[in-house]
Amino acid sequence: MSRYETNVVLYRLKKDQAFRDRFRADPRGSLADADLTAEERDAFARWDTRKLNELGGMLHLLISIPGLGSH
Amino acid sequence: MGRVVYAAAMSHVLYPDYYGQNVGPHGREMVEALIAVVREMGATLAATTPDALVVIADDHLNVFSFDAIPAFCVRVGRSVDRMVQADAIEFDRALDGLPERYLVHEDLANAILDQGMQAGFDFAASWSAPLDHAFLSPVSTLYGRRPVPPLVPVWVNCFVAPQPTAQRCYAVGRHIARVIADGPWNVAVIATGGLSHFPELSLARVGQSDPVFDRRIVKLMEAADHDALAALTAKELHETGSHELLNWLVLFGAVSPARARVRFFGEMGRIDLAALEWSVG
Repeated sequence: MSRYETNVVLYRLKKDQAFRDRFRADPRGSLADADLTAEERDAFARWDTRKLNELGGMLHLLISIPGLGSH
Repeated sequence: MGRVVYAAAMSHVLYPDYYGQNVGPHGREMVEALIAVVREMGATLAATTPDALVVIADDHLNVFSFDAIPAFCVRVGRSVDRMVQADAIEFDRALDGLPERYLVHEDLANAILDQGMQAGFDFAASWSAPLDHAFLSPVSTLYGRRPVPPLVPVWVNCFVAPQPTAQRCYAVGRHIARVIADGPWNVAVIATGGLSHFPELSLARVGQSDPVFDRRIVKLMEAADHDALAALTAKELHETGSHELLNWLVLFGAVSPARARVRFFGEMGRIDLAALEWSVG
């Protein structure tokens, strides 16, 4: 369980435009160094926001990432 | 002898495009009606010419990250900036076009912090945290083109468990009331945040609210039943999506025993919108 790391990635996606651009171009590659479980990594790669939320990703981050957030 | 010259609480996404986009024309019209009421409240507030405006609100993981989340944080320093979010979407766009910098009422902020530490409130302090829509959407709607008085922003951790208890938020409000009473300033206090929305902070439940719970809460505020409000549990707040009531709990402590007057209450489905004033003058 790496709820912390999941939210660190979400926070970076919101705040760091260069990281966000890398993630959009290559989700798995941009997260290669992140300390995520296989399940979390897969949810990020598919941008499955409901799954990320179920895994502890904070709602307010998930809905406010420029170009990715949605309700 | 200082005093609280104005007190109010209100929803803090006062941005018609957000509700227009996420709820439809019905949502847009309801928040426009709320905005009209908040502007009227702003005229009353401005007429009291407060020396300082204390704003109690929460962070939406815009300012604080999982590196550290303060239960309560007092913004000190000389000035405070508006949050800047490149390519902002949704409610962060409510900040576009607002002034980039606001004065902080340094003496009152320091008094709340210093006396709080002496009284056993282990507040965090920040010299750099910027303000997001939770602070600036209400402040800008209340003041319009009028000059905004020096601010004392206070953050409450409403969202990242474990949050402070309702009882503790109420006690912080009592502390702020004591500091104001002992100081030389006329102070306005507002708390912001929606009534129920985003139950359990679950993405799958976005769009749901709990009008029955909200009607009960509003009645308790009108009756000034602050004991019942301070007894709300983290479980109740989380399940109904009433996390931001913790901001309001601080205000109840600051204005007790005053009763609330409902200026606006609207059930939108996605969220219940409200604006209330307390007779403190």
